[in-house]
Amino acid sequence: MCELQGSRMEKEIGKICAEGLSFFGITNRLISHELKNVLAIISETLGLMEELVELSGQGIELKPEKLRSLSASIMEEVQRANAIAGNMNTFAHGVDEFIRDVDIRRIVALVIELSQLEASLKKIKLRLEPGEPCTVYTSPFFLANLIFRVVKASSRYVGPGDETRVSFDSQNDGVRVVFSGIASNSIEGFPTETDSFLAKALSARISINVAANELNITLPKKIGESPIQILHGR
Amino acid sequence: MKVLIVDDEEKFVSALAERLVIRGIEADWATTYSEALSKAETKRYDVAVLDVKMPGMSGIELRRRLESVDPHLRFILVTGHGSEEDYDIGRRESCFYILKPFKIETLLEKLEQAVNR
Repeated sequence: MCELQGSRMEKEIGKICAEGLSFFGITNRLISHELKNVLAIISETLGLMEELVELSGQGIELKPEKLRSLSASIMEEVQRANAIAGNMNTFAHGVDEFIRDVDIRRIVALVIELSQLEASLKKIKLRLEPGEPCTVYTSPFFLANLIFRVVKASSRYVGPGDETRVSFDSQNDGVRVVFSGIASNSIEGFPTETDSFLAKALSARISINVAANELNITLPKKIGESPIQILHGR
Repeated sequence: MKVLIVDDEEKFVSALAERLVIRGIEADWATTYSEALSKAETKRYDVAVLDVKMPGMSGIELRRRLESVDPHLRFILVTGHGSEEDYDIGRRESCFYILKPFKIETLLEKLEQAVNR
């Protein structure tokens, strides 16, 4: 590799590391915020239970159904926190190996869960169409990063309550991830420079199908030459 | 004292409102900004307790909208973030600011400070 190419590759590695770190920060912020919400619900519910018990000692009737309902509410929140922690764990394992065989369906499912933690994305409904596992050799972490960015960008072109469907179209040389139900004729400023950089690093292509109201990410079966491979080898 | 609590977590707002009612405070709650605006249009509140991050409209924007409905309304911002950015927003908006989860005593103290401001 000549000096010029080496220097360009070093810059790209720096850029991909910075983008990855930023994505890690965003997801940690979303997850910790959601856990704080869960803790706040548990704290208020327990506080209320304690006060109702105290009032019952002063002769104010405490109905068992009320206590049962509050207790069930706490259990639901514990399960919610457990699911969030599970997603956090899955997400964190995305950097165990920078490149490996990845079931894209699982990555999309994880990103859908993560994106629902973002207040601005809660208004849109994301549905993963049923189907078989869809495996490619790529970077799970940076693929999740790109899909998250696409979901966020597409949310600007979906009305409140509208549904975005995510499906997969396996082709001979790769897989197309299709986001349907987006007003793609009005999309402006997408993909951004960072979106395109990430797509290139994954040897992927982002396209917009205006007639079909679709946003597509096309991935090869195997990632090509990329700064992520250098990270993988280090 | 009349308080309006706005947060998209229904279990949180309903339990918190019930705890305030136990303490003799008239507390209503809303889980969306439109519900909050409609309540403020039909009833006069002393303080609104707003979640900073809400789907559809941020607590900061909702504060502006509520203020135009009732200029006398005081505000307490609630957040689960606790980032420097959120703290700055609280200061800039000259609002009281509490981090989730909080003790009820902390909220009661801020409510008193807000109405006596």
